[in-house]
Amino acid sequence: MSARAPADALAAIVGREHVVAAPSGAAVDGVEPRWRVSPGSVDEVSRILKLAASEHLSVAPRGSGSAVDLGMPPAPIDIAMDLCRLDGILEYVPADMVATVQAGVRLDVLGRELGKHGQMLALDPYGGLSRTVGGVLASGASGPRRFRYGSGRDLLLGVRFVQADGTVTWGGSRVVKSVTGYDVPKLLVGSLGTLGVIVEATLRLHPVPTATGSWLFAFGSGEAAGSFVAAVLASTLEPERLVWLNGAALARAGHPGETAIAVSIGSVVEAVATQGAALAALASSSGGRASVLADGFWASLGSVLAGRIVLKLSSELGRLAFWAGELEQACARRSLVPSMVGEAGNGVLRAAVEANAPPADLAREIVSPLRERLAAEGGSLVVERAPVELKRAVDVWGSVPEPALAVMKRLKTEFDPRGTLNPGRFVGGL
Amino acid sequence: MALSPAFLSELERIVGSSGVVATPEGRMVYEADMHTFYKGAPDFVALPETTREVAEIVRLCRREHVAIVPRGSGTGLIGGAMAPVGGVMISMTRMNNILDLDFPNRCATVQPGLINLWLSQATREHGYYFAPDPSSQMVSSIGGNASTNAGGPHCLKYGITVNHVLGLELVTGAGEILRVGGKAQDPPGYDLTGALVGAEGTLGLLTAITVRLLHVPAAVKTLLASFSAIEDASEAVSAIVAAGIVPAALEMIDETFVKAINEGVGAGYPKGAGAVLLIELDGPTAEIEAQAGRIVQICRDHAALEIRVARDEAERALLWKGRKEAAGAVGRMSSTWILQDAVVPRSRLPEIMREVVAIGARHRLVIANVFHAGDGNLHPMILYDDRVPGELDRAHQANDELLRACLAMGGSVTGEHGVGLDKAWSMPLQFGDADLGFMARFRRVLDPDGIMNPGKLLPSHPACGEGFRPAASKLPAGTWV
Repeated sequence: MSARAPADALAAIVGREHVVAAPSGAAVDGVEPRWRVSPGSVDEVSRILKLAASEHLSVAPRGSGSAVDLGMPPAPIDIAMDLCRLDGILEYVPADMVATVQAGVRLDVLGRELGKHGQMLALDPYGGLSRTVGGVLASGASGPRRFRYGSGRDLLLGVRFVQADGTVTWGGSRVVKSVTGYDVPKLLVGSLGTLGVIVEATLRLHPVPTATGSWLFAFGSGEAAGSFVAAVLASTLEPERLVWLNGAALARAGHPGETAIAVSIGSVVEAVATQGAALAALASSSGGRASVLADGFWASLGSVLAGRIVLKLSSELGRLAFWAGELEQACARRSLVPSMVGEAGNGVLRAAVEANAPPADLAREIVSPLRERLAAEGGSLVVERAPVELKRAVDVWGSVPEPALAVMKRLKTEFDPRGTLNPGRFVGGL
Repeated sequence: MALSPAFLSELERIVGSSGVVATPEGRMVYEADMHTFYKGAPDFVALPETTREVAEIVRLCRREHVAIVPRGSGTGLIGGAMAPVGGVMISMTRMNNILDLDFPNRCATVQPGLINLWLSQATREHGYYFAPDPSSQMVSSIGGNASTNAGGPHCLKYGITVNHVLGLELVTGAGEILRVGGKAQDPPGYDLTGALVGAEGTLGLLTAITVRLLHVPAAVKTLLASFSAIEDASEAVSAIVAAGIVPAALEMIDETFVKAINEGVGAGYPKGAGAVLLIELDGPTAEIEAQAGRIVQICRDHAALEIRVARDEAERALLWKGRKEAAGAVGRMSSTWILQDAVVPRSRLPEIMREVVAIGARHRLVIANVFHAGDGNLHPMILYDDRVPGELDRAHQANDELLRACLAMGGSVTGEHGVGLDKAWSMPLQFGDADLGFMARFRRVLDPDGIMNPGKLLPSHPACGEGFRPAASKLPAGTWV
């Protein structure tokens, strides 16, 4: 097939207006795809992948493009497959608290529809309302509300995806409780499109609480904040969110201070009031000062985490404050001040860093040593966003221990033997 | 194919002679799980005490092409823990220790043979518990719960076992000791932890499990509402869910069961009720008080005959006792039945209940219902008398129609019991060839030679003869559903 021929074949599948050659704004870590293709149906996705398989073309699926920085620089990409035209809400029965949507549906669009019935999809990735459901699931993105509602792996009940050879496949179920067969949706969440292209998701929904209250508890030291978090976790209080912010993050959020914990409670009116009072009592016994937060605060966390480099640390709950301190110190040695947002109830912390230091130095002085020590206690450090120079200096994922990596490689080889899907971007070079 | 004496001595070398059951009468104990009509004794039963021993047994069996069947407490309802083609059964009962209790991290690491309830007993005084609560929890093992992805009444609010597993150690069918997940969340790479839960021993053997512990809630409120008709109770369930309330548990008990439970367990459920809803709320006191008030109103609006609220723990325990021992109580009415575990979207409950009644009438059979109404997980028990010619066939026919009716409404074959040998045939009713093919290939990645629990979970496994279907169906009294 000549160089022109694949473009014609793609146009024959999706229509010429949905194929853009040498597209702008579709690069992944500087790797420019040859075409941007926007399928309008599951069948078109399947036919594109069949074509890709027979012509040995590589494919990088994408939603809104928000997570395009995640992962290693890819091997050459032929087709950027844009799934935003698959934007249908296919089935929504409010009484079931389940919705089936196409991958390209945006979170804000879906949220408006669900909101009409007092329901929500409890996924709140940072700065993510314009993100697509498929992209959020494939990139394993989540936010502070996972503390109460779980993350994508807990909310995805069923998934339709297209395998690398074009086979349209369904896994999971359309009901809230099912153990029929293997839990295939778990394999797709966070797999960065390397095992298949997610085209449809059946999602568990939650009722929007009748009342919500949000507070910021400011502390004079990290230790005081840490003891408040421990007290909340040891109590019977049931917050929706429990978020730790350092001084730099607070400054960005417009609440200057040393360190603080932001908490939200969602329940009936009476319980929001009593739990809010109980939180304030716990905070004051650790020397904290309470102030009421506007609801918009939570959406602003996306900008608090804006930066050229974003690191994600995962550790045991009780060790999160320690690792935050270690990261701050390592950054300080380079005169860098990270803006940090920690999901204190999940042991996950993100840090945005505006770094101008040479990438190799950052890799050697910050990422590698912290990662090594975290790994020794079962934690991890993922570079979620970084200039490509830093990605060349350090594996953004870190190493996956054997034999888990071997099993992951066998999975990839089984389902995408030619490396068609997102080649080179995932862990271990997958 | 009987295994050789040489194989036996290799097995004994690994686990010691006291770690192997080889006598016919000893092996017979292991020929079935709680689905007792699937019988198949293993050639040998091995009782390992360490992960290394498990791995050595798997490597031995792989080398000798011998099938392996993992077994926990043997309380499964799906013919998962029996050996249809013989081979080696690996019983986890000697690996039953709590390896680590970590309250600051709200988790525990346990060996697979640990009894579910023991973990909650060991943690409750510290204010924590393990949420998955299958009715068998006083005897079933956490390894078995994780292998079948077990549910229970309280998974309406808290999710099934997979939502509570943070990490696993698994000896794969290839003999590798695989450790995935753990106390820190979001490990990079594929979510193998999630994908390995519920594999029913077809990918490997769980040898350690790190599970989430939850706080004992601030308060619990248990209500019992009785209705004259099951349709009213079903509509009340839909209305509670529509009101944005997610109770911890929301259980339906039909007329047949109410009668059986009252006679058998003496739970004192309202006499003459056509259906009973058992509703439990837990959480902050102010929240559950407000929600309980709303639920009482909803039940009244749906013509509830009577609403009781448990005043203390003793009353609460009595309300639950009837539900938890429901299957045993029905056993007094009929010793033979077929048990379903299908799921429908919760909005279709009133419709499926009408269908259940119609199917029972059509086949002249009593179908008793006790189920997890809040999440649409049915447990119809089709009662039959195996001494009446043709009645078993009618029961099978009713079972088949019921399952198809659930799937036609967009439901699922099994909500919490699992597939095992019992439901493998019905997988193609819910999944297409491509979907089943994906699962079969996933299985091969972990178990390249097909030695792990052959014949279970997927249909038409080479080791499972087509048409393998036992003659008579029987669940023992004391079965937990």
